[in-house]
Amino acid sequence: MIKFLKYMKGYLRVRIQGFSPERFMNLCSNKGILLWDIVREGDAYCMNITLKGFWEIRPIVKKTGTRVAILERYGLPFFLPKLLKRKMFVAGLILAVGFWLVSSLFIWDIRLTGNYQITDDVFRSFLEENQVKIGMRRDTLDIEELEKQIRRQFPQITWASARLDGVRLLIDIKENDAPIQEQKPQTIPGTDLVADYNGRVVSIIVRSGVPKVAIGDTVEKGTILVEGKVPVYNEDTTVREYRYVDADADIILEHAAEFTAELPLTHTEKRYTGREKSIHYIKLGDRSWALPQNRPFLVYDAVIRESRPLMLERLDLPAFLGTVTYREYQNTEYLYTEEEAKAHLNQKLMDFLAELDEKGVQIIEKDVRIEKGTDAWALTGQFLVQEPVGERAETERIEVNETEADG
Amino acid sequence: MKRNNDRIQKSETRKESLIDSLRLPKDICMGAMKITLTGNREAWIENYRGILEYTECQILLQGRTCQVCFEGSRLSIDYYTNEDMKISGCISCVKYI
Repeated sequence: MIKFLKYMKGYLRVRIQGFSPERFMNLCSNKGILLWDIVREGDAYCMNITLKGFWEIRPIVKKTGTRVAILERYGLPFFLPKLLKRKMFVAGLILAVGFWLVSSLFIWDIRLTGNYQITDDVFRSFLEENQVKIGMRRDTLDIEELEKQIRRQFPQITWASARLDGVRLLIDIKENDAPIQEQKPQTIPGTDLVADYNGRVVSIIVRSGVPKVAIGDTVEKGTILVEGKVPVYNEDTTVREYRYVDADADIILEHAAEFTAELPLTHTEKRYTGREKSIHYIKLGDRSWALPQNRPFLVYDAVIRESRPLMLERLDLPAFLGTVTYREYQNTEYLYTEEEAKAHLNQKLMDFLAELDEKGVQIIEKDVRIEKGTDAWALTGQFLVQEPVGERAETERIEVNETEADG
Repeated sequence: MKRNNDRIQKSETRKESLIDSLRLPKDICMGAMKITLTGNREAWIENYRGILEYTECQILLQGRTCQVCFEGSRLSIDYYTNEDMKISGCISCVKYI
């Protein structure tokens, strides 16, 4: 700290020669002039003296009859004029500070956290619609309005907070975990459950409606299983009226299902030749510059790698360095071996079974065959499954003649 | 001469006992030099009047009542102000003259 102060005020290294340097030092200290690093060199003394002290030693020098020679100058008062002589340097410094000040007036980065359902792209386009984008002025951003706008636009966001951290806009949102309750359109009750397949009823548990089939019945597709029309009888067992309900039941139907999958005998694969070419480019915001290049290979794919230098990331400048690597390849046809084909087809079958399992379908019998045809491998599967069914269909409405009912 | 010396000694002792009983700092009241030595490498000196002689192997300081001579090798003055000074180097002897 003292060193820094000395540097700021400036000091000199001087050599004192003459009749009585000791007297010179004593007079200096009496006048309150600080001397330090006093070293004797032959018959002369070298010492450091503050710049302010140096202006005051003239009478002392005269009095003691010593001679003072300046050896070196240190400190800002000597360094600054030298610096100011370099006009371009000073101009650069001013420009740099100016650029720094001006660029801090803009937003250079937008970070979004807490989004799971809403993708970054969706949010970014929403921000763009609201004139919030990278490179906008900080003072034109109304944060409270933006927060309100976010909540208004996305009903699933329960909490939103936006804040400015330097030149970075941080948006933190919280989404509603619970699914949104959709308002079901009000309908007049009155639906039936009909069969989705041809099959045999294995189990039926009715919660509302009138069952029309029993366990063991064979039904065809479209047959009404449970009717949403509950008859209300008169005392003489004639129907007085029908009460309409939404039929609701757990019905399990046993039916045959089929699954087929095909796999061509050959397949093409990319075989990389190992020849690669890469070009580099610089990207600033949405614009990028690269050296112009012709089509590198006849058939190729490209891998793009983009990175941001650490310093620029800290500064939040949207500047990137990128490399595009073109890799040449040849399309080569391969024949599937039997193992490969079986593995592929089995995978397809597994996917199908998993899909069934997800729907709650139980498999009772299974018969799967894999055969090699003339132009393809074929997998055929016959299944006997038990599946929960019940498709909704509007019930037939019957007007009951009041007079007839009364009679 | 011897009587005169005795008288000075007597007045000094009286002054000292007075300062002692009043619990005043001795270095200020008696104008004594205050020397702090750190090993034989560094010395801080306060309450002096000035330098009489300064060479690489000897520094002679003038105090209010006596002179002090530092002897050694490669002696240098790190800083020198009105209040205090610091000597560094290899000090081999401190002598009161």
